[in-house]
Amino acid sequence: MGFIAEGFQKALHLILSGDSEMFAIARLSLAVSVLATAAAVLAGVPLGSWLAVKKFPLKKLLIALVNTGMGLPPVVAGLVVMLFLSRSGPLGFLNWLYTPTGMIIAQFIIALPIITALSISAMQSVDPKFYQQVLTLGASDWQAIKICLKEIRLTVLAAVIAGFGRLVAEVGAVMIVGGNIRHQTRMLTTATVMETQMGNFDMAIALGLILLALSFAVNLALTLIQQDKVRAR
Amino acid sequence: MIKLSNLRVTLGAFNLAVDSLKIRGGEVFAIIGPNGAGKTTLLNAMAMLVAPSAGTLEIMGRDALAPANRMFLRRAMSVVFSQPYLTNDTVYDNVALPLKLRGQKDAAAVAEALELFKITHLKDRNAKTLSQGESHRAVLARAFVTRPKLVLLDEPFGSLDERVKASIARDLREVLKASGAAVVFVTQDQAGALTLCDTLGVLVGGSMLQQGEPQDIFSRPVSAEVADFVGVETILPGKVTAKRDNLCSVEAGGHTLMVVSDCGAGDSVFVCIRPEDVSVSVSADAGGRRNNFKAGVAAVAPWGLEYKVELNCGFTLQAAVTKQLVDGLGLKAGGEVYASFKATAVHLIKRII
Repeated sequence: MGFIAEGFQKALHLILSGDSEMFAIARLSLAVSVLATAAAVLAGVPLGSWLAVKKFPLKKLLIALVNTGMGLPPVVAGLVVMLFLSRSGPLGFLNWLYTPTGMIIAQFIIALPIITALSISAMQSVDPKFYQQVLTLGASDWQAIKICLKEIRLTVLAAVIAGFGRLVAEVGAVMIVGGNIRHQTRMLTTATVMETQMGNFDMAIALGLILLALSFAVNLALTLIQQDKVRAR
Repeated sequence: MIKLSNLRVTLGAFNLAVDSLKIRGGEVFAIIGPNGAGKTTLLNAMAMLVAPSAGTLEIMGRDALAPANRMFLRRAMSVVFSQPYLTNDTVYDNVALPLKLRGQKDAAAVAEALELFKITHLKDRNAKTLSQGESHRAVLARAFVTRPKLVLLDEPFGSLDERVKASIARDLREVLKASGAAVVFVTQDQAGALTLCDTLGVLVGGSMLQQGEPQDIFSRPVSAEVADFVGVETILPGKVTAKRDNLCSVEAGGHTLMVVSDCGAGDSVFVCIRPEDVSVSVSADAGGRRNNFKAGVAAVAPWGLEYKVELNCGFTLQAAVTKQLVDGLGLKAGGEVYASFKATAVHLIKRII
């Protein structure tokens, strides 16, 4: 079990020595997951809110589908995106396979159902009478949704945290779509897998620890914002 | 202002059916009725929050059932629910919200609305920290900040204690008088309805049983159900046995009552007597009142500011009397008195069956 202690030392060394490759990998991991989360929030929160407040046929079926999407295996998402982006695929002309853009798309697809489903349940926790009252104040549907989202922003923030947590730790999709190409699409997770397979357990653990630290920093920031708002109530 | 006809709303097993209703601009219309009568459903239909299954609804000359008119009409009216729904913002922001939704900014209007409901001193407080009464004042200020042409109030302060309710009702009355807006409000509180409204509708079991001037409804209910709801405490089945001019002799409760009515001889009727129309005295002199019976006192109990006396004179007769009279006559259960009431104070409802 000396690996863990060695991993710690290695991680410390990598960080303190300012290893430029390691920092580039961490930066890419962070950028891809943050951008994918942001895109999923921009699409999923309005989509989920709208699904929650509107009445239409097959609403329950659609919500069930979104909920199922929460369990979408990342490798499946990655595989589908890869097939679309591959040279012979319908979007092959974009040349996005093995690029950060491709990885962002794959991660966006993984996060979208999570953030949409959590937004649906957050929105459904709003008293329907509150929503009606806002409508009677002269709000359009979108204005009313915006006001309700402001009321439940803590729950929405929890959805953001859940989505980001899933993405930053995800390896299957970015491995397939990104290809773990050094200096281009190597992420903390894919690098960890690679080092493990090569038997460099200390390096693998060091990368894992750095990933954990990164995830902790982002979640700490989000949680501080969230808890600050709890106090402001 | 509001014109509806043959409106039908179906919510699960509940059916609301209102055949015709007209509310003029500036009119204050109260809807009263027991729990589950469909009062809120009717108001929600007017607020375009529930879709009727049939009928027409016109507000301010526009078809309120057409989705294209919905936003215009919503922005011309205000709705206040029985629960004060406020957002997690300052009182000022809450009151200003309807203006913000319309893309307007009008600090003077907000200040005026805050002042009307006497909450200017609370404007920087977070709305979630307000007391119940203050919250109700805030939602009312928010409802009037846009100077609405139509105001719908759903039991606007149902859950408040009497003193707070009275003080808010007083301020609301002033604002309503000054605003000139048409008002529809729903309440279970008949006394409150009487002090505020011009016209009144009684809704029972999803049907509008009677509408008109409140005095009319309270003294001449069209059915036993309405009579029961508007506080007629004595309702007896009877039969008109004879009629001379307007004066009917009615057999009811083992007595012959003299009643001024349009009913004809032979009609089966319900006899309605309001407790405040019954006089109680120890002497047999009825003072010109046509109906005078010897009665046993069955019970005496406080009733608001007065006392309710349950009398037994062959039938059970409820009388409302002042505390002074109770003390003066020494009224108590087991005593003997005379109960009298005028021929014009009795209302007859024709029984169909």
